[in-house]
Amino acid sequence: MSGLILSGVSKTFGNTRAVEPTDLTFAKGQLTALLGPSGCGKTTLLRMIAGLENPTRGQIKLGDDDITDLPAHKRKFGMVFQSFALFPHYTVRENVAYSLIIGGMPKPTALEKAESLLATVQLNGFGDRRVGELSGGQRQRVAIARALAQEPQVFLLDEPMSALDAKLREDMQVELRLLQQRLGITTIVVTHDQREAMTMADTIVVMSNGRVEQVAPPQEIYHRPTNAFVADFIGKANFFDGLYKSGGVMIGSQALETPANFAPDSPVRLAIRPESACLAREPGQNRIPAVVGFVRDLGPVREYHLTTDIGPIIVEYAAGSDEQKLTAGDKTLVHLPADALRVYPRTAA
Amino acid sequence: MRIGGHIFIALAALVLALPIVVVCGAALNGGRSMFFPPRDPTLARFGEFFVSEPVWTNALANSIIVAFGAATLAVLIAWPVAYLLWSSGSKLSKVLAGLGSLPFAVPPIVIGVGLGFFWAFTGGLGHVWSGVVSHAILLMALPLVTISIGLQSIDRSHLDAAATMGATEQIAFRTVVLPQTIPYTISGFFFVLVLSFNEFIVIFFVSASSYATVTLQIFNSLRNGYTPTMAVAAITFLVVSILVFAAVARWGDLPRLMGADQSKN
Amino acid sequence: MTVAEDIDVAADSPAKATRGLTRKGALYGVLSALMVVFCVVPFILVIVISFGRKVEGAAWVWGFSFENYQRFFVGTLWPDEVTFLYLQQLGYSFYFAIIASVLAVLTALPFTLLLTRLKRSTQAIWLVFILSSLSMSEVFIVMGWDILLSNNSGLPKLFQVTGTTQWLKDVGWFQSLRDIGLANPRNVKFKPSEFATILTMSYLVWPYAVILLYPALSRLDPSLSEAARTMGASRWTVTRTVTLPSIRLPLMGTTLLLFVFLLGSYVTISVFATPDKQTTAVAIYSNIRGSNLNAPFGSAQAVILLISASICLYFGHLLNRKAEAR
Repeated sequence: MSGLILSGVSKTFGNTRAVEPTDLTFAKGQLTALLGPSGCGKTTLLRMIAGLENPTRGQIKLGDDDITDLPAHKRKFGMVFQSFALFPHYTVRENVAYSLIIGGMPKPTALEKAESLLATVQLNGFGDRRVGELSGGQRQRVAIARALAQEPQVFLLDEPMSALDAKLREDMQVELRLLQQRLGITTIVVTHDQREAMTMADTIVVMSNGRVEQVAPPQEIYHRPTNAFVADFIGKANFFDGLYKSGGVMIGSQALETPANFAPDSPVRLAIRPESACLAREPGQNRIPAVVGFVRDLGPVREYHLTTDIGPIIVEYAAGSDEQKLTAGDKTLVHLPADALRVYPRTAA
Repeated sequence: MRIGGHIFIALAALVLALPIVVVCGAALNGGRSMFFPPRDPTLARFGEFFVSEPVWTNALANSIIVAFGAATLAVLIAWPVAYLLWSSGSKLSKVLAGLGSLPFAVPPIVIGVGLGFFWAFTGGLGHVWSGVVSHAILLMALPLVTISIGLQSIDRSHLDAAATMGATEQIAFRTVVLPQTIPYTISGFFFVLVLSFNEFIVIFFVSASSYATVTLQIFNSLRNGYTPTMAVAAITFLVVSILVFAAVARWGDLPRLMGADQSKN
Repeated sequence: MTVAEDIDVAADSPAKATRGLTRKGALYGVLSALMVVFCVVPFILVIVISFGRKVEGAAWVWGFSFENYQRFFVGTLWPDEVTFLYLQQLGYSFYFAIIASVLAVLTALPFTLLLTRLKRSTQAIWLVFILSSLSMSEVFIVMGWDILLSNNSGLPKLFQVTGTTQWLKDVGWFQSLRDIGLANPRNVKFKPSEFATILTMSYLVWPYAVILLYPALSRLDPSLSEAARTMGASRWTVTRTVTLPSIRLPLMGTTLLLFVFLLGSYVTISVFATPDKQTTAVAIYSNIRGSNLNAPFGSAQAVILLISASICLYFGHLLNRKAEAR
């Protein structure tokens, strides 16, 4: 296994720490998504991997080679930029052949190779076009072909879908993932879109405030988020703040049972996915009286927006499920199953 | 736009064109004196200016040498300064750019006097080459500005992209920076060309009456009264200006060079 | 395929990188030397020579005396006798420059505002026209207006032929024109006069005014004035309360720049101004290249002009900074 290994890599701009000391391993041939809100340091991390920024501290290794001080043009990691950064003064074919020609390949061979790369991204016959004549999706394909032309050991993409419209974005995510699997190339994608990360990635790295919050496969990130930030950022969740008592959590005067274990009286935050909560008719354990405020029927799912003593709760049902049909103003009970409740420590505020 | 606006624009254009039209018309005079409207219209004056009168043909040759020389030199000096300013943004590069713009910012008579002294001490006074250098110094500010605008219009991610594809700074310069700034460089060259053609005060002080450009020759002849040949000179220069700026507008983005907001069209 | 020619193979070695660094240092060195020699030394020469002395019947010698400056402000014979002749010339420099630059900006403002509302391609055509007029030598412009204003042809002739002169005499305005020096007993007479001087100077800088105002005005957000209009403001109220306040600083900055430019104008003054209203620029000329041959005194006047201009430019710079800070 000769993946890409970051040890203690950090970056400071002036007085602000953009990336806290970070240890990460990117497995060979896998697609890793760096996911987080804007300003979380994910792009800075990617630029350090590309060699476009120097880490303030730490070491970057590719397999056994230390590449920390290797400049970008010697690493030659192919990179797709948010704006695509295609050269407007060259044709599409020349853009794709750029790295080959400056790398010393004879021009005819390079341009021929560029043509076959264009075929891989389904742009046959576009070689003589100017960049300005292409649509957003076509530009992205050119950018991908251009970055792959030099057969990089690591393939980097910085928010590659953000310049595309929503429909095209979903198609391109699947297409890019298939291409990556076919080529078996180590790939790192920076994104702020959790759907994009979950569609494409083998591993997701969730970041916030320059720190790595969780590293795990998509399903684990979704179902077992390690902290409240991840639970909130990935998918939707209902949150309640309370105090841990033996065997349960007190939220105001309401007690909820959970299997989690904390020191008595420590402040905690509870989280539950809307699809894990459900409506109930009979009172029982972890069932709380609720009033329906709003019903949102989106077709594939129905959401019940409830008001309770412990705060607002959203309950979600897939289409076709046979929950009791309620309308705004109805009184009901909401069930928060103990094993679906995730409990995180909370700094008392 | 309301009708008043159109009238105002038309009026402004009329006043702006009035002296130019008068000079152009006067060039057609058959006699030795300037009249408007022209009497006995002829194109003979054009022959005098371009071919037969050595006073004017020499002056024209000097004007062309000074203008092209100054434009080339100004661009050659302005390029590295603008590039350092853009790539490093260091204090020194800012000082250099500031000094380069200084001669253009002060009243021309002051830099004219200064350069007159300078060439008197260095032995360049009265030589055509010192005129070339003087105009390059005076007008260097123009390519400095246009090239800087061009460099700023380069997307920095283009340079990052080139680097990730194996381009060193030199290669990136040649393949990314240079091609994208050529229109701005040419614009700067042309601005110097046209302003040098028309410049009077500085060339007056540094030529020390030992040679004359067309503008100098006209000024020298002013005392003896106007001749229609002078008007031909004026027309020639005007046509050159219009052609040059039209070329800049055609192949470069003139509104952007003049500082218009890019997002609007 | 031709574009690919300039993407070329480049050998690349570590030695080249370090050489690149020293090359950058050398470039800085050469450029600094160039700038100092050509852009600084000439000004220093002017300043140094301004302290020199003229020798009667010869040229001048180096020295360090303030007599040239004393002569400028109070005259050579001070304190026995005081003359403000040279200060008065500086005063005229300011007088002509201020009026002409304000006039140019006031007329260029509505024009530029209208220009920025045209289509981009139409704007480009106008800019070509304006730039061509801007680059026209002062010599040509003076020639044009000189013909236009001359008594034998041009406007006075037109006035006479069309009967405007007679009409002016009939309504009694002719006498007023004579009072302010714009007429002789027979016909209107436009030069030499302050009118012709200021007209030509305004004309000279008018294209500059348009070019300088253009960036600020083209960045005006039309939705701002549209918002004001939806709130019921009239066109004039919008101009007064939205447009003008937002361009106040560029307006003042432009006026200052034009003013500085006009401080040094020479040809216009020497052709159109009456002999008693000559300016410092004309005096500099006659001292250094003209009949007086007093380079040190000419330099002293140039230094004073330079200082006046610098002060104005500095204020202009402050205004710009303030404009950008907003």
